[in-house]
Amino acid sequence: MVGLNALSKLFRKTIGPRIEALGLLPQRYYLHRALDALEKDDIDEAVRMVTLAGNDKKDARWRLVCQQVIFRCRVLASQHEKQLDRFETEMEIFGKPIELSDTYLRLQKAEERARDILRSYEMTLFNQLNGRKSDPVTAE
Amino acid sequence: MDRKLSIPGGLTGALVGLAAELALEEITGMEIVNGLLAVIGAGFGLIRIDRRIYEATVNLLKRVPVEANSDYRDVLEQIDEMSLELPELRESFVKLVQAGIEAQKA
Repeated sequence: MVGLNALSKLFRKTIGPRIEALGLLPQRYYLHRALDALEKDDIDEAVRMVTLAGNDKKDARWRLVCQQVIFRCRVLASQHEKQLDRFETEMEIFGKPIELSDTYLRLQKAEERARDILRSYEMTLFNQLNGRKSDPVTAE
Repeated sequence: MDRKLSIPGGLTGALVGLAAELALEEITGMEIVNGLLAVIGAGFGLIRIDRRIYEATVNLLKRVPVEANSDYRDVLEQIDEMSLELPELRESFVKLVQAGIEAQKA
């Protein structure tokens, strides 16, 4: 039992990711991994797994998981949007203190960037859902 | 054939197994039991994919942020807006809401 597990661990740490990236594993495997990633809000991984799962066939299960990831992207993007609105309202009401202006600016940029990344993920999956080609998204 | 169970034998076997596992973990740095559980979990996940998709749908709704001053209509409106052009997911949400209403009636 221990030997089998050690072998599977070894597989997952060595050639596993390469085989996974080739998209040769069953679609259910990728969907399962996408749902795991979605649960952890690891959107980059969820998008990657949904993309790999949809290489061969885009059946009802794939469509639903894909839409779940899009939905989550929209929810998270709207949270960042609200945070941006909050910053702007606070700056309008209280003014922009000089000592905090840099911090505000950095936070604002971070929120904008997070929102934009989520929107591009959403667009990537939306294009796949509708059978359109799109450039892969990479989070820096 | 007459087989006798030996409790000391069983305990010794368990102890040896545990020692072997700990030794292997120390040498290789691999978490054997956790790894095994992960593999079993992934196996069950493959079989139970429909159930997992259903649970993920419920989870998605649970994780929609609700602000303190918003009522259920605001939340519904938000869900409606977020699920635009996602027909299958929208249908799943409707079914979940209907099931919830039915459960409340019962």
